[in-house]
Amino acid sequence: MSDKNSGLIASLAHQGISRRTFMKYCATLASMMALPPSAGRAMAEAMAAARRPSVIWLPFQECTGCTESITRSHSPSLEGLIFDAISLDYQETLMAAAGHQAEEALEKAIEENKGKFVLIIDGSVATGLDGAYSCIAGRTNLELLKRVAPHAGAIVAMGSCAAFGGIPKANPNPTAAVAVTDIIKDKPVVNIPGCPPIPVVMTGVLAHYLTFGSLPELDKLGRPKAFYGETIHDRCYRRPFYDQGKFAKTFDDEGARKGWCLFELGCKGPVTYNACATVKWNGGTSWPVESGHGCLGCSEPDFWDGGGFYRALSMPADPLKMAATAAVVGTAAGVAATFANRAKKGAAKSAHETVTLADLEK
Amino acid sequence: MGIEQIPIHVDNGSDGLSGNASAILREVADMLDRLARTGETGAIDLAALPLTPADKAWLSERLGKGEVEISMELNGASRIHETAYPGIWWITHLNPMGAEIGEFIEVTPIPDMVPSQSDDIVRGSESLNFLINDLC
Repeated sequence: MSDKNSGLIASLAHQGISRRTFMKYCATLASMMALPPSAGRAMAEAMAAARRPSVIWLPFQECTGCTESITRSHSPSLEGLIFDAISLDYQETLMAAAGHQAEEALEKAIEENKGKFVLIIDGSVATGLDGAYSCIAGRTNLELLKRVAPHAGAIVAMGSCAAFGGIPKANPNPTAAVAVTDIIKDKPVVNIPGCPPIPVVMTGVLAHYLTFGSLPELDKLGRPKAFYGETIHDRCYRRPFYDQGKFAKTFDDEGARKGWCLFELGCKGPVTYNACATVKWNGGTSWPVESGHGCLGCSEPDFWDGGGFYRALSMPADPLKMAATAAVVGTAAGVAATFANRAKKGAAKSAHETVTLADLEK
Repeated sequence: MGIEQIPIHVDNGSDGLSGNASAILREVADMLDRLARTGETGAIDLAALPLTPADKAWLSERLGKGEVEISMELNGASRIHETAYPGIWWITHLNPMGAEIGEFIEVTPIPDMVPSQSDDIVRGSESLNFLINDLC
């Protein structure tokens, strides 16, 4: 790869990306971020002139799905190429160096780019047993975050785990996992939640930072408004069916075949802020609702503990906790119901009956 | 199964027009007037406000097709045509999968993307010289 001080565009040119292709990319990126068309031109110019930004990527308690989302696509995406073109100074999964060499690279990148590098974190931070649940090179994730974050120019929490704690934080949260923003209080953190997040959001944030020298506008949960400004439901192509009251009741009924609304099958679209409905996945091929499954709400805090992926939003998530006064009666009734449901499930299994969604939820 | 195969018929009234297309047409007319008087260029992102398929068809029909049509291969196809009104260009970008990822109207003598870009010219010149050196 070309030397570190060459511009981003020179690095892209090495990979056969013409300036025109880059201009097209910036024009569509600006459009996606709801910026005026002139911003696309400004982005193309600023990013072309920019020195390849130094990026330090710290993976904490994560599954590497976020890295996969960005680096893997069946045709080389520009997100992937831009990711290649940045100066990725530390990323354990991708870097060739290992052991002491890798840790030296980290320290060197911090020293050389103090106050300027972009810090990307994926995975939650374990705080139980002083962070001992997740260590890299003898240091806990917590120590590492506190060492690197004060010197970063911008901090990006990539994926639901870094942004909100995600699956490691799900009940009963054995490692006492927390989000990056629970540790870093004195600096703005851009949250890019999703499990995994949409790749273009990362390049969008990077482009904004390089073009305007600032972070994009964020919502109250620290997410870029341009991508998380509207719910899945608001932009869903199946929305007209919701408005008409046409719902699929099972995954293989007439309604499902006709592409009706998946609300009653547990779709979390109405309470999930993300851009899947417009940006889609796999090069714009499709997205969960288009392939017939409701939204899981993976870009929202605590989505894993939300009360069931197949439970309609209109059903109370946990009726037993709804009112304290009804607790005693409720518990007794709940236990009785559980036994009854278990019996039904068992009976259905032995008789090869169809188990309905309602049964699965009990 | 693509969205096209799912029988969804969104009813937008009898003609399917939302009223946004005629607003855009006026904005474009204003931009063209400014281009003629001061040389100031303008652009409209057609994804920035809601347009029904009927709106787009209406707008495209009103603007018509002019003398120039350009197709480009830029990590996915891009098509540019001058409308019947010189100075107004319609630009459509597709991704490598063939899905539409951007649509713009530009009001300019020539869209920025059309001329060969100076960096690309330099690189082109270098590679042509490589080729010639190889011949010798």
